[in-house]
Amino acid sequence: MAAQSRAAHPPGRFSRLTLRQRFYIVAILLLLPAVALRVFTAFYPFLQTAYLSLHKYNPAFDHNGPVFVGLNNFARIGSDPVVQASIGFTILFVVGATFFQLTLGLAVAHLLNAAFRLRYLARALVLIPWAIPMAVAALGFRWMFDDQFGIIPDLLRTIFGVQARWLIDPNNSKLAVVSVAVWKSTPFVALVLLAGLQGIGRDLYEAARVDGANAWTCLFYITIPMLMPILITTGMFMIVWQLAVFDLPFLMTGGGPGFSTTVIAQKIYLESNSLNYGYAASISMVLVGIVALVGVVGLYLFRRFDVSA
Amino acid sequence: MARFTRFGGSVLVYACFIIFAVVIGLPFYFIFISSITPSSELFNIPPTYLPSAPTLENYLKMTESIPFLTYFRNSLIFGIGSSAVSVIAAGMAAYALARIRFPGSNIIYLALILSVALPQIAVLVPMYQTFNSFKLVNTHHGLIIMMSSLMLPFTIMTLVSFINQVPAEIEEAAYIDGANTAQIILRVVLPLIRPALFTMFLINFIISWNELLYPLVFAHNVDTKTLSVGLTELTDPGSTYTKPWDQMSALSVFMIVPVLLIILFGQRMIISGLARGALK
Repeated sequence: MAAQSRAAHPPGRFSRLTLRQRFYIVAILLLLPAVALRVFTAFYPFLQTAYLSLHKYNPAFDHNGPVFVGLNNFARIGSDPVVQASIGFTILFVVGATFFQLTLGLAVAHLLNAAFRLRYLARALVLIPWAIPMAVAALGFRWMFDDQFGIIPDLLRTIFGVQARWLIDPNNSKLAVVSVAVWKSTPFVALVLLAGLQGIGRDLYEAARVDGANAWTCLFYITIPMLMPILITTGMFMIVWQLAVFDLPFLMTGGGPGFSTTVIAQKIYLESNSLNYGYAASISMVLVGIVALVGVVGLYLFRRFDVSA
Repeated sequence: MARFTRFGGSVLVYACFIIFAVVIGLPFYFIFISSITPSSELFNIPPTYLPSAPTLENYLKMTESIPFLTYFRNSLIFGIGSSAVSVIAAGMAAYALARIRFPGSNIIYLALILSVALPQIAVLVPMYQTFNSFKLVNTHHGLIIMMSSLMLPFTIMTLVSFINQVPAEIEEAAYIDGANTAQIILRVVLPLIRPALFTMFLINFIISWNELLYPLVFAHNVDTKTLSVGLTELTDPGSTYTKPWDQMSALSVFMIVPVLLIILFGQRMIISGLARGALK
């Protein structure tokens, strides 16, 4: 039927092209919406951010448009304690959160992979923290960590005898924000690692057991080496994604007390809201630079382990 | 790992499961209990773990402080629109990238995938100016454009890996039978990748339902604000002393329920979709 309908059409301009040329045109048409969307909302605005970062531009004062100032904005970052504090906390947040997401994620993945009756309930439960809005988690935990009315300080006090103030103490508030990120995203990591665990052949473990290996040696000499490429890619993904974290600290602590839990993204948000567009753009470029650096290191690590594995 | 001695192993596994379930479940228990506790009781020291008289007054108060139904509708439009556009655009691109060899295809694939690393916040100001000049601020389609674009890299990556697993012989056979490209895509490929498209639709709906930053910056009026913006608005009229947790917990429950239903319904698909996207 298809052959008939094709023969019925008079040869148009399209069918005079070679098969290969026709494929190219189809490919371009198929890619067009996706590429257009990314150019419109990512690539083109990014070039503008790079341009703005070298200019002084506050639309409230600079009526003639951006004024070129070279690297002045970046020099200003060097003497801005809030930006430096926000870079420091962002790195602490990302490293701390990713470390615990990977280690606890590996543990949870083993639980999800264990043969027990409630396994499917566990697999449904694990999706929930990933799936609920970060805004809900951030505000919920803000209330749960509340020094007067929250249940977390109350439970810690009655069960473990821990007396601590959380969101009004600069150090403990950092700990609280990191722990919510771990709670929220460990399940996602666990699901990815679960898929990795299922890909490791049982025969490896059986052979090790015959040789007298216990659970710990299996973990450190089989599971972790076999999962290394996945651990690196997942870790990289979590680092890069969490470097841009905004909603969690913004809603949970508002960046405080003081600036103790202000992340780079929130600093950019604040500067943009004060219409310091040039300065906000230069902080954005620093953030992109950190992301790129992590990406290069991750790629190097991945190549090294992928070849050896 | 199931090779522990039978008794010790299963006791350990169930103990771990209970710890795991409590850590995951406690916040939900607390949010739900708060939403039905009278606000007078909510501000007790020490905190109450069970309300003496459950009530729906928090829900009523919440719907009076924000236009709940309008925001709910906006969230649905935003979520369904963004996930539909992202899945369609990503599906088309993924087919071209997985099946058609053409010069530059690797570079386009890399550029699309790596753009996932670009932080949303880093391009917010220029994006606002562009969207403003195209009259896309405060519109549903403007929000859908930016949100679907944000989710494209992950969606394309997942779908490319899925299409790569579908044998190309079926399409080749259809070519030999004289089908044209449009027929092949619509009649042969689409039915084959429909489960993957549906999975990504669910995942992307959840992601956009949860999104805060874009609606917070690009939606200023009642007709476009989403529920997540509503959640931040509830904090404003409260006293400086405490946030209105009574109303916030009620709205939180409303934001969690649709997501829970989706998970109940599509748990297996979502797990496989997430793992595939992250592994490849």
